[in-house]
Amino acid sequence: MTSDASRAATTAAPNPAQDAAPPAPRARRSLGGLLRRPETGSLIGLAAVFAFFSFFGGADFLSAGGFASWLNVASELGIIALPVGLLMIAGQLDLSIGTILPASSMTVAIVSGRFGAPIVVGILASLALGLAVGYLNGALVVRTKVPSFVVTLATLFAVAGFTLGLSVILTGSTSVALTAPEPAKGLIGDYVGGKFQTSIFWWIGAVVVVEFVLHRSRYGNWILALGGDPVSARNAGIPVDRLTIALFMASGLCAAFVGMEQAILFNSAQVSAGQSFIFNSIIAVVVGGVLLTGGYGTVAGIVFGTMTFAIVNQGIFYTGFDANWASAIIGALLLAAVLMNNTFRNMAMSVAARPKA
Amino acid sequence: MKLGKTIMAAALAASALAIGAGADFAQAKGAKIFVIGGKADDPFWSKVKKGADEAGLVAKANGGSVTWLGPANYDNLGPDAAKLIRTALSQHPDAIVGPDWVPAAEDDAFKAVVAAHVPLIVYNAGGMDAAKRLGAMNYVGSDEYVAGVGGGEYLGAHGVKHAICVNTLPGTSNIEARCKGIADGLAKSGGKTTELPLPSSNFGNPTAVAQAVKAALIKDKSVDALVAIGAGDADALATAIPQAGLADKVKLASFDMDEAGLARIKAGKQFFAIDQQPYLQGFLAVSLLNGYVDYGVDLPTRPVLTGPGIVDASNVDATLAGAKAGAR
Repeated sequence: MTSDASRAATTAAPNPAQDAAPPAPRARRSLGGLLRRPETGSLIGLAAVFAFFSFFGGADFLSAGGFASWLNVASELGIIALPVGLLMIAGQLDLSIGTILPASSMTVAIVSGRFGAPIVVGILASLALGLAVGYLNGALVVRTKVPSFVVTLATLFAVAGFTLGLSVILTGSTSVALTAPEPAKGLIGDYVGGKFQTSIFWWIGAVVVVEFVLHRSRYGNWILALGGDPVSARNAGIPVDRLTIALFMASGLCAAFVGMEQAILFNSAQVSAGQSFIFNSIIAVVVGGVLLTGGYGTVAGIVFGTMTFAIVNQGIFYTGFDANWASAIIGALLLAAVLMNNTFRNMAMSVAARPKA
Repeated sequence: MKLGKTIMAAALAASALAIGAGADFAQAKGAKIFVIGGKADDPFWSKVKKGADEAGLVAKANGGSVTWLGPANYDNLGPDAAKLIRTALSQHPDAIVGPDWVPAAEDDAFKAVVAAHVPLIVYNAGGMDAAKRLGAMNYVGSDEYVAGVGGGEYLGAHGVKHAICVNTLPGTSNIEARCKGIADGLAKSGGKTTELPLPSSNFGNPTAVAQAVKAALIKDKSVDALVAIGAGDADALATAIPQAGLADKVKLASFDMDEAGLARIKAGKQFFAIDQQPYLQGFLAVSLLNGYVDYGVDLPTRPVLTGPGIVDASNVDATLAGAKAGAR
């Protein structure tokens, strides 16, 4: 440890572990300062797709129901995209969320729906399942040094197999009904005003928590340092292993939460749900400006990226476009949003780099 | 040699007993029928098997037997099924029932059955085309397109003018057949059907499916029915209708059914479900062969369609009872 410490000192790596929480990037009053904020690019991408669908989607898209359409989808995706974003900033990927989600749905439905245990037991069992798989992912990545893409791909399949196998043994079925009593239904999986999912409020809560962790606590610096240069991070005294495991547990927990929430919302769980969340969460995070290589990203960017994806994915159904072409339009718009984001960021950077006159 | 065969037959019958097929090796004159099907613990096939077993009670009373042969897993379905067909044929059966899942792998084995002059019924998969091609007596099962037509006609008979068939698996041929059937069935009463293909980025996410369908309902106010291509999608569609504020106007129908769907039908939140009635597939196939072998009776109806069965408020209680008994 002493040699490590001295080497860290000689390489003159910044020592984030010792730093107090840095001053959060404060919104400066000047236009230049605002434009230089890293998430401004993704905000402009979001504004552009919103304008696009406001024009082609018309009054229905701008109605409360229209807002609910993409907010509902964004909230569930967003709850998962936040920890996935943290993992990507730390230089890791988590594919296993795609089967933690249905495994969690089936857990709450089997425990509380089929076997009639109190709903709180089912909820806790499903969240515990997410934490356990997350711990397994983290521990395997830390111990084996196998890339997390491979480790979580393996758990993705393993969890899918267990979910199907155990569901058939326990219930003889691949879908199980669940009728959640109040207040669990009203708090977790219901519609406010008949349109807005309660998951929107959980998403807001998750954003506040992750914003605090990433930008206002020392753990944020640890995560950024881990993604930027893991060796230096370890040398600087950051508990890299525990941090990695904690991040995987967070994504497992969040995926399990969404699975449980969907089971309560739709009064039913299916073994085959969830796969689309793997790719969609990565898309949302990348559209939000997080680098695929890690070490860079903001919570606001992830939120804007999630909203952008949800608007593009759902807005299409408010336009008169032929639904057969939906995927093509989604692809084109996402590419446009990211290009706009990148171009803008480069512009902002070059403005920032220019010496002040 | 004879002794060897007897021992083998006894061993096979014992193993058949072990998987609960109710075999009877003390057969004298009755029909010895072999049924090839899926795994007995598969939720769908357990219903087919229940039908075959219950038809087997008659065969048994007449001194015959019904033996269920299923694969241990579905990893290598075609070749495994072909092996099971040949296993059945090697035991001097009086009749064989089997699904033509993978024609390329199974057809040679089925042709060997016909060549040995053993009465054959194709069921569950393959359709009448397979039965004709193989020289089988009949086909017992459902047909996706016919099931769709049945659902479409039922919608039309209940005043539906414009249905949306929500296709979450665009490009899948049996699903396309379901939606096309709905469209053709509803067209008979002058109704119109729009197919709504959802992109793969929505797959497996009921929230995204629900919101997309809600948008489609808000967009086109003339829609008065939604058709789900499967029981899982029906859960999502059921929430889309009240979110669009159209609970009084838009009817929900689905192909297949599960616990949640039956509960909705009972609560009046879903109009009906289209069922292919797997119990009848096992029951009718075995009954037809039993009657043919024992008494020479032959049903002229070809194919024998077991679906569509419509489950709505009028028969949901009986269906729930059937589900509890493991037949639905």
